[in-house]
Amino acid sequence: MTGGRLHPFTLLAIAAALPALAWILPAPDGPAATLVVALVLTLTPGASPALTGIASSPGWRRGLVVFRTALLTAAPFWLFLLLLHDVPTTIAIGLRITTMVASFVWLVATLEPARLVEAMIAAGWSASIAYLLAATLSAVPVLKARARRIVEAQRCRGLSPRGGIAARLRALRALALPLVLSALHEVDERALALETRGLVPGIRRTPLAPPRDPAVEQAARWVLLLACLAALARRFIVPRFI
Amino acid sequence: MKSLTLDHVSFWYPATASPALRDVSLEVVQGEVVALVGALGAGASTLLLVAADLAPRVIGGRLAGTVARRDRSGIVLPTPWTQASGMAFTVRDEVAFGPANLGWPAHEIARQVDRALERLELVPLASRDPATLSGGELQRVIIAAILAMDPGLVVLDEPAAELDAESARTLWRLIRLLAKEGKAVLLATSALDALPEVADRVVWLENGAVRAVGTPDLLADVAVCDAGLGTSVATVWRAGGLREPYPLTVADAVQRWR
Repeated sequence: MTGGRLHPFTLLAIAAALPALAWILPAPDGPAATLVVALVLTLTPGASPALTGIASSPGWRRGLVVFRTALLTAAPFWLFLLLLHDVPTTIAIGLRITTMVASFVWLVATLEPARLVEAMIAAGWSASIAYLLAATLSAVPVLKARARRIVEAQRCRGLSPRGGIAARLRALRALALPLVLSALHEVDERALALETRGLVPGIRRTPLAPPRDPAVEQAARWVLLLACLAALARRFIVPRFI
Repeated sequence: MKSLTLDHVSFWYPATASPALRDVSLEVVQGEVVALVGALGAGASTLLLVAADLAPRVIGGRLAGTVARRDRSGIVLPTPWTQASGMAFTVRDEVAFGPANLGWPAHEIARQVDRALERLELVPLASRDPATLSGGELQRVIIAAILAMDPGLVVLDEPAAELDAESARTLWRLIRLLAKEGKAVLLATSALDALPEVADRVVWLENGAVRAVGTPDLLADVAVCDAGLGTSVATVWRAGGLREPYPLTVADAVQRWR
């Protein structure tokens, strides 16, 4: 399965349905099943290298990088959950949170913001809202690339991000401030640029290359929605689904 | 016909007491290239933001005086990497981003994009990812993206800052061509040596106010050279202790020398 070939709405539907089912279905089986599906998705090699910043990773390794990113992002949640709850609750909530994280990481890696904008415009959405959603999804790789550039610049000035905890904290401080400030500065300039490029509220943007939306994908999205609704209904009907 | 008229315009950035522009009056007519010159902080970039209707409408602040615009404007800011839409995976799509936002029919978008790509010599790069371009290439893409929107008033802030010498020459020729086609061009640049060939008028800004307006000959004026805003030839002539008036270009200097 190659996520990049699916219609953006289908990708969004999958990424939304998995966490929804993880929270609706009973633990631990339900969330475990959704997590397996989400992790398998992260392993699919359809992730766009331009989005994930893993262009140097050849072939199948792209999927491994996305997989690892999902697990590393979810790991701290398990630690905090274990400190706050007993083991069964930790497993139940941890599986659900990890499903959410893995779905989002997979979505960011596969969904091309430009295709999403085109799909939303073709579906009659406002261009501003489409851009806002797409820009949110592309923020992670953009910030990642910027952080890498800042770290390289700090290295040139003799600050090493490696070593003991104290050294890493110093490096983190040297990274965080320029990262936040430069991002805020760029927001101002980007706003000016988009304004002058015609992206203003109320426009009727011409779709340039709307992605193909086959009937089978449209049906699949309805199936996902119905599956979520059915699971929700069953949870209310059957008392043991708590 | 007037494309832009500023009448006694002053502008204050948000939360500042002193104005960045002071009582500026200026007209730019169709078919004319007007160049703003001045030291850092003179107000040239601010004036361009006002001309492009971004200040105070988008960036905030307060404006006094009146600004009349007849044509739709397009502005090229000095940092190309913050002007990319971030929504395009090819140069062609990046250039088409603005025209698509204008809601033009697809065939008109394609025509304008093709024309802009040709003018900026970007056809060989049309399929490239904008994220992989050099600063100069990206600057040309952004200029093409603005021109593809067919603005009546073209506003350029340091358009040649990222360009190599050959690309800069191509750009200056294009700017003259745009004026010949009837567009009004307002630009700020520190590439002073290009202005005698490019600009119809030069506006010298100092501390947010217009100090002098004239033909490009202004760049050989003694006061302008004293302020460090003369052309290279005029500056060298002055540094050599040679007699006034200073020559504007190499050709002028050769003529004077003989």
